[in-house]
Amino acid sequence: MASVSEMYDVTWEEMRDKLRKWREDNHRNSEQIVDVGEELINEHASKLGDDIWIIYEQVMIAALDCSRDDLAWTCLQELKKQFPGSQRVKRLAGMRLEALEKYEDASKQYDSILQDDPTNTAARKRKISILKAQGKSAEAIRELNEYLEQFVGDQEAWHELSELYINEHDYGKAAFCLEELMMTNPHNHLYCEQYAEVKYTQGGLENLELSRKYFAQALKLNNGNMRALFGLYMSASHIAASPKVNATVKKANVKYAAWATNQINRAYQVSHARYLL
Amino acid sequence: MRMSVKLTTQAYCKMLLHAAKYPHCAVNGLLVAEKQKEKKKDSHSTPILCVDCIPLFHGTLALAPMLEVALTLIDTWCKENKYVIAGYYQANERTKDFRPNQVAEKVGARIAENFSEAAMIMVDSTRFTMGCYEPILAIYDHHENKWKCRDCNADCFEDWCEAQKITSALLEGRSYESLIDFDNHLDDLRNDWTNPEINKSVLHLC
Repeated sequence: MASVSEMYDVTWEEMRDKLRKWREDNHRNSEQIVDVGEELINEHASKLGDDIWIIYEQVMIAALDCSRDDLAWTCLQELKKQFPGSQRVKRLAGMRLEALEKYEDASKQYDSILQDDPTNTAARKRKISILKAQGKSAEAIRELNEYLEQFVGDQEAWHELSELYINEHDYGKAAFCLEELMMTNPHNHLYCEQYAEVKYTQGGLENLELSRKYFAQALKLNNGNMRALFGLYMSASHIAASPKVNATVKKANVKYAAWATNQINRAYQVSHARYLL
Repeated sequence: MRMSVKLTTQAYCKMLLHAAKYPHCAVNGLLVAEKQKEKKKDSHSTPILCVDCIPLFHGTLALAPMLEVALTLIDTWCKENKYVIAGYYQANERTKDFRPNQVAEKVGARIAENFSEAAMIMVDSTRFTMGCYEPILAIYDHHENKWKCRDCNADCFEDWCEAQKITSALLEGRSYESLIDFDNHLDDLRNDWTNPEINKSVLHLC
């Protein structure tokens, strides 16, 4: 099989930079990370300098995703050698146990980290992930709520909790989590848009009107957000069609829906033009 | 006698490619069949042939607005192409969880409103292999407001050998990397959820 560098005609520096970009964007393209990372480690380890440790970590996690325990084990050993007694490496060892579905052993691993360092958020979150993997949603939700009482600024945790609630169809509580995220990230169009989707799903006239407002807000923050544009159209249309609204509200929403339709059509025209270029 | 549902290679292929592209997420999508012109007298014995599959979402499946958008747009596309939405598929986030949940039942029921013989299909990821040696679907029929599971074997395919061979080949070739679902389309409108390139690959391998 041809190497990555041969197939894509890239240098080792470009491969290293790609890995960094994927790290920064938190991409879960594990197969690609394994392909690029494995080659980098095998062929160019000496050139990577101190970057190699974070690359070992990144590749190890990707390897777990791809059931490449051989590669994961190699990376783990290198990290253990370099950072003996490190909590961060211990957590990676725990993740490997999770990947092997040895949940009790993994849990013990995280408990030992927490014994030494009760504030270790990573270990606590891994324990919650185990509950999720085992399908124990109610417990995961409970633990995550407890965690957030202590670590109220952990956005990743708030977002995870909102998703857990959505999967349980508890849209009210999901909305609450997204409200927290919107408060601390008022310029994030994605949170706005997701909040609008949750409100829409909850249903009822009041929630529909709220959803329309937040779709509009998301659009204001990012006029390229197609979900927000479609959402604006859908919510305005439903409000306009509702027998409970008066003529003024109906007229306004018909206008919003028409505007959205226009924008949607324009967006498709532009995309087709770009496609043909 | 219930009409049985059969899948073409293209439909089966794209379903599995969708699940393979997002192994850590739940995925769902629609199945379409050609619109029948008239009801033949012996229509009870003619199976519904699902000729294509439209991958919809990955990740959070339980939100309404984008699903409604997708159903509306795809319905329009169906009318233009003389198709009808005939089924729904879903693969759950957790591998070991292959029972239909509330989302599957709701969407399935909605499709059944417009197409009484609608099928709901759950993908069993525990048996998902690159070799595709056996069909990994559980097919559910809507009967008196309940979903009943039917056995899925080679008979549920227009040509199981072809489906097995081609799906396996496309998985090996990592075609799933270029599979487009409706979520991808919403991220960038140029992304085509009809997946013409993959359709070509399937035809090519036939």
